[in-house]
Amino acid sequence: MSQAQTLAVEVIAIEQVTPLIKHFTLSAVDGAELPAFSGGSHIIVVLRGATRIYRNPYSLLSSPHSLGSYEIGVRRMEESRGGSHFLHDQVTVGSRLEIAHPVNLFPLAKTARKQVLIAGGIGITPFLAQLEDLHDGTAPYELHYSVRSPEHAAFLPRLREREGDRVRLYFDSESQAIDFDGLLANQPLGTHVYVCGPAGLINRVMTTAQRLGWPDSHLHSEQFTAPPTGDAFEVVLARAKLTVQVAPDRSLLESIEAAGVEVPYLCRGGVCGFCQTRVLEVDGELLHNDHFLSDAEKTKGKSIMPCVSRARCKNLVLDL
Amino acid sequence: MLISGIKSKPVYSPLEADTRGRYHLMLAIGGAATALERVLGQLSAADPDALTRSRVLFAPDRGKAAAGSATATPATAAAVGFFAAWPQLDVRLYPDIPALLAALRVLLDESLMGTRLYVAAPESFIGRAVQLALEFNMNQDEIRAEALGSLARRVHCIHCRTTTEDVRTNIVECGGCGRWLLVRDHYSRRLAAYMGVMVDAESPGERPAVQEIFP
Amino acid sequence: MNAAVRPLAFKPNETFRDDFIFHNSPEAIRRFPMPFPNDEYMYSVNIEPHVAGAAGSVLEHAFDVDEHYIAECRERAIVLAAEPLRFQALPHMQSAQWDCLELLMDSLARDYPEHFSLTKRGNHWHWINRPLGIDQQFVFGDLASLPHQPLDYITRQTQGDFVVMDQRDGDLWIQAGMVTTPADWSLDFDMGMTFKEWHGPVPLAHEMNVFDRALKYLLNLRLGQPVRRLNWTLTIHPRLDTSPEAFPLWGPTRTTVTPQNAGDLVHLRVELQGLWRLPRSNAVVFSIRTYFISMRELVTIPKWARRVHRVVKNLHPVLVDYKGLTRYRDALVEWLAPFDDGTPTTPGTAPE
Repeated sequence: MSQAQTLAVEVIAIEQVTPLIKHFTLSAVDGAELPAFSGGSHIIVVLRGATRIYRNPYSLLSSPHSLGSYEIGVRRMEESRGGSHFLHDQVTVGSRLEIAHPVNLFPLAKTARKQVLIAGGIGITPFLAQLEDLHDGTAPYELHYSVRSPEHAAFLPRLREREGDRVRLYFDSESQAIDFDGLLANQPLGTHVYVCGPAGLINRVMTTAQRLGWPDSHLHSEQFTAPPTGDAFEVVLARAKLTVQVAPDRSLLESIEAAGVEVPYLCRGGVCGFCQTRVLEVDGELLHNDHFLSDAEKTKGKSIMPCVSRARCKNLVLDL
Repeated sequence: MLISGIKSKPVYSPLEADTRGRYHLMLAIGGAATALERVLGQLSAADPDALTRSRVLFAPDRGKAAAGSATATPATAAAVGFFAAWPQLDVRLYPDIPALLAALRVLLDESLMGTRLYVAAPESFIGRAVQLALEFNMNQDEIRAEALGSLARRVHCIHCRTTTEDVRTNIVECGGCGRWLLVRDHYSRRLAAYMGVMVDAESPGERPAVQEIFP
Repeated sequence: MNAAVRPLAFKPNETFRDDFIFHNSPEAIRRFPMPFPNDEYMYSVNIEPHVAGAAGSVLEHAFDVDEHYIAECRERAIVLAAEPLRFQALPHMQSAQWDCLELLMDSLARDYPEHFSLTKRGNHWHWINRPLGIDQQFVFGDLASLPHQPLDYITRQTQGDFVVMDQRDGDLWIQAGMVTTPADWSLDFDMGMTFKEWHGPVPLAHEMNVFDRALKYLLNLRLGQPVRRLNWTLTIHPRLDTSPEAFPLWGPTRTTVTPQNAGDLVHLRVELQGLWRLPRSNAVVFSIRTYFISMRELVTIPKWARRVHRVVKNLHPVLVDYKGLTRYRDALVEWLAPFDDGTPTTPGTAPE
């Protein structure tokens, strides 16, 4: 399945909400309402740089009820391949971008009796959109938001105003840490937990929850893994009869796309499985960086997720 | 119309402990209680304290005990003897299934995430227990069940929506509308019952012989 | 075919019960969604993108409105008056209901502007349905501003059944629906089931992994990219409500078919099924649009006459049983035989 057509949008506002996070507001170039979406959805933003194209996923943080514009929050990543830097440094009010239709890989469970949201840093973004739906619903909910210091807490006024006591803040700078055991040990049946933020936070929550007996079906996480960089390598696309060079700071998927071959994708972050590609031959090692394939599948080496995985090899042939 | 071999029919397997759970809530009806033996053994082997966080609710299969006495039936006495092997276990006895289900509702309301529900019972009880657990948003990965004892079914008449209990035969007269119903394998978790549809609709009066197929 | 140019001539007095006053115009016959691309039939995952089909065809628009529209809406009202539980929606499906209302109103107003109008001023919507004489102002998202729940309200003005599924735990669960024209399944009984449980009673297909593959496809359904497929069975008389609930009413008709009357009694019943991802709820809506053609009408297209004769004659016995054809299959084959001179049929479903 090839990609849906993109929507043309214009940046109508940019706000530096924390030293590292910029808040972008986008509206349709043709002035129409943007497509309705469910909280937790992300859009792929297509950024056309001078020498390359970035396709980066960002959670929609705007209200699903206000479709005159979309809002995203972008954190300036330290070791960036450039996508976030491009947005921070090159995109201005008036810039035109393309975005894909929203996709939701992090939805709320509608039948939960209670919802517990845990956010770290930029991970607050999907929850902002979901808070609208939670606010209208009947299940009790609470948000635990961990950031390094007050100046790094994005969107605080909005949160405080709408949610008051339902938001609890934790500042690393004041040695405030989420008491994961305390939080997860005494929740009633039917509670669902959602965590979005750095890998360390997600691991802490999942490990604690599992130790306390939580079943997987009540635990949800979203982590946007930027494709890791690595050594350059070459890949052959068997059906397209092309040989593609994969540069250190380009993902395998981006390199294939730059060669004109389309690969289906949804998240571009190694979790959804949509871009799974058959490996026909490999003389060397596949470097799996995804969270989709099982350990057995990774060892078998017959599949690869080109959005985040790479290879160290003399020969790699894919069924594309 | 497909009567048997339907993929929505629940399939049960012997109970195994879910050692990833923290609290273990077990329901046992009548002689099915012994199916919990392996679960209890596995739990205590994995964690010596597991049984201090475990609880059994028991009721005999049929009939009520003498008024006020939950231990009067031989089945209950046997169960008490059986569970005595695990003194840390909190065992609660009920005179009959309705009393047990009422207590279960209260317990589920107080239960915490990390709870696993195990049910060792005839199938018709399993359905009622799962119905209750669903009200508390318990999912498939929190519930385990093994069907033992009678195969008798609860049958939901698709025409008048009455449930006929304890059906052991291939066709049954609906307790609500009097139609003769074919008992199919199509099962609804929400209704905790199998579908009954008029058996002689195409040719009224033409019915197969009544046979006990769910003893 | 100029069906796109001719205006629709509604036949509001048709009935789908009791006296069964129902006929297809020649245009309706030619545009009938024939489900057999060749002379043998077996299940497949025959899902394809629901993109605009040929002008005048049933696939041209997102939701097809045809000459039976008014009569089918009246039939739905009759069923609902007697059995309100043919419409159900669990409380957490409110936003999905509004999603469906928006999808249907937007589609109908866009594709049939001569019959439907929709104007929006923010959340204040104004909906006009000329064939049914409805003029409704309401607030999108406000339950109190409509006479029925949103899904109930709009599907009373749409042909075909609708089922709304919530996506969670890697599966799809029936959580709402309007089902008054089912081919032998019950919404009330199936509410809360997963995709494979709901399809539990379909024989053979599970062993063929049809439902595993279909489910995987549907879990990745994307906004703006709906899909569709065709399904079929045979019904005696053009009876839309062949629910299990009503089996006592339609079951007996199966024994009334003879080689002489099969052409008039037996109808090919085709479901055009569409699946859409819904935006605010992330749910999936399944539309099941039913078309009837009597055998007598069908054989006016010679290729279809030959093909249907062969399909029915050679149908897998398990399917004969599952589709309820056992009692009258032979009578039907006997009625169709004179229309089949053995000439090869071309692949594909186009009328010839």
